[in-house]
Amino acid sequence: MNLLVVGASFKTAPIDVRERLGFAGPKLASALQELNSRFDCEAVILSTCNRVELYLARDGAPNAPDVELIGEFLAQEHQLPVEKVRPHLYHEGHAEAVKHLFRVASSLDSMIVGEGQIAGQVKRAYEFAQEQGTVGAVLHVLFQQAFAVAKRVRTQTGIGRGHASVSSVAVDYVRQVFDHFNDKTVLVIGAGKMGELTLRHLKDLQPRKILVTNRSPDKAISVAQGCGGQAIAWEQLDDALVQADIVLSTTGAPEPIMTRRRFDGILARRTGGTMVILDIAVPRDFDPRIHDGDRACLFNIDDLKRIREQTLSERQKHVQPAENIIAQEVKSFVSDWKRRCHGPVIARLTKAFEERRQAIVGQLLHRLNGKLTDDDRAEIEGAFRLLQNRLLHGPISALAKETAPEGQRHTLLEALRKLFHLEE
Amino acid sequence: MMERVTIFCFEASYAVALALELLQLMKPKPLLRVLGLGFGSAGFLAHTLFILAQPPSLADPLGSVLFLAWILAIFYLYGSVHHRHLAWGLFVLPFVLGLIVLGELFPSGLTAARGSLWDDLLHLRGERFWGILHGVLLLCAAVGVSVGCVASVMYLVQVEKLRAKTAPGQGMKMLSLERIEAMNRRAILWAFPFLTVGLLVGIGLQVQRNEFTEGWSSPKILSVLGLWVVFAILLYLRYGVHVRGRQAAWWTLLAFGLMLLALVSGHPFLQGGTS
Repeated sequence: MNLLVVGASFKTAPIDVRERLGFAGPKLASALQELNSRFDCEAVILSTCNRVELYLARDGAPNAPDVELIGEFLAQEHQLPVEKVRPHLYHEGHAEAVKHLFRVASSLDSMIVGEGQIAGQVKRAYEFAQEQGTVGAVLHVLFQQAFAVAKRVRTQTGIGRGHASVSSVAVDYVRQVFDHFNDKTVLVIGAGKMGELTLRHLKDLQPRKILVTNRSPDKAISVAQGCGGQAIAWEQLDDALVQADIVLSTTGAPEPIMTRRRFDGILARRTGGTMVILDIAVPRDFDPRIHDGDRACLFNIDDLKRIREQTLSERQKHVQPAENIIAQEVKSFVSDWKRRCHGPVIARLTKAFEERRQAIVGQLLHRLNGKLTDDDRAEIEGAFRLLQNRLLHGPISALAKETAPEGQRHTLLEALRKLFHLEE
Repeated sequence: MMERVTIFCFEASYAVALALELLQLMKPKPLLRVLGLGFGSAGFLAHTLFILAQPPSLADPLGSVLFLAWILAIFYLYGSVHHRHLAWGLFVLPFVLGLIVLGELFPSGLTAARGSLWDDLLHLRGERFWGILHGVLLLCAAVGVSVGCVASVMYLVQVEKLRAKTAPGQGMKMLSLERIEAMNRRAILWAFPFLTVGLLVGIGLQVQRNEFTEGWSSPKILSVLGLWVVFAILLYLRYGVHVRGRQAAWWTLLAFGLMLLALVSGHPFLQGGTS
């Protein structure tokens, strides 16, 4: 199959190196074309924030592209000295490359095991390469199988269950309380960096209104502009809490801004339903005694991190079953591929024997013409066919069982070609 | 053939469906869910055949609860199909089973000479018409109260999960708090008009019979009146002083208790009207 993967990931390269090795847009297209023409191979480039990987394959050629040359190519493409790139690169060939892709697509090689984005990123990388015309028979089959394996891993194990980021867990909690969001008001208190991602997730829920308040009016206006919300004065905090359904608090206040007593006063004025408070400030902004699960659900950064850790440790339990699926799929893929490669040789071998048998039997029957009954003719033809099948059984079975080391020429295949003159 | 269907047939099917739901909670497997739904459906089929073959009377405690359980079984099947991934059966099936068991505790009037609901409906006239109308209205109200009660139990469980900050997706999967609350609210809004009109019809019948003063001592009337008062308080709390959530759930549970008392008490109007 002559498959090779060369790349750098978060495991081997720091972020500044990964940033410089990334491919996007026209650069990605030109790199694919260059790989295709310079190394005469099929190519797919997977470039994400956590990895840059080049999948290369040559169908029918004796060798895969040279790893050193691919390293030089990467350095050259990004105008970096090769010695700065090479230490961060890893490479895998043949069955190991298949296994690597299956693990990547199934999110077993991800920074957060089981995250759901990588399968889509692999798919987009493949589709882009296909648009560029750099996907051939090998990579097409390989990537299609990788998508199927990733799907199998996700459905047959719990590797993708739950959310593994604080902001996603926060939104999961919000969804346990609310059913729809087009009539909900989100109140953002403070302008902490910690809350940016959570606010983005909350905004994706399309709430009716986003209110932003901050001790500094300028900061409130800036955050409100960023999220399409409305800035309100800090003095209006209590009034805003009365109408808010979801509160995201990220102030840098050294003391809690909301005591239980003050909050009880707010609750007494509220006519709406449950309020969800996501207090991701450190130190906490809301008195934890506010939480009752009914009128006010308060989740602080520790709660959210605890759930995230739970999810991650839960996912770890599913890693081994996922690895087992992948090992099984790699084995099956490699043997299928071998069968596919041996297929034409076996067909040629069978055809050659068939032609020779027919020629010999034809001559014999011609010579004995008039002396044989139809039954005799059928008997003779059957005996020769049986002999042919018995003779071929050995070589064909041996070929199917052959386990030549990956990357080496199949010696038996070569022997059969030479012995029976099966050259194309 | 239909006569051979007994209460035990559907009671056992619902019980197996509930056991499978519990098993599914411990070891989630799609097969268990399908099997549970299968047993639930079989129970509903047997329940329907039983009601068709041996039509119970609404005047009878067993008849009332069997009809109510049958309607709740529809609610269970609808919810199980509509909310496939939720632990729907875990909340509704105990009510269905509980009602059937409760009905069995009272002497059966299924074969009594006073006639079935179908006979009553076919020969509607005079006092009996009003008696049947009264029973049907109270049954409709009972459906609302029961659905409200199911929603209240769901609400309290969901609140407990949130209070304990259980990881989302862990344990039984449920509707959002907002959705459950809306279900409870709609059920109460549905039940109250039926209950009010049913109660007025009942009072009218009492007056017509000149039994108004004696009838007060009937547990049926007392429990229905109590139920109406609880409902009125519940609506006032909800819409007047905006009491919601856990408190509203507890009031709904109280209303359900009173409704059960009303259902299992003797039914003076229906008995009077059909005998």
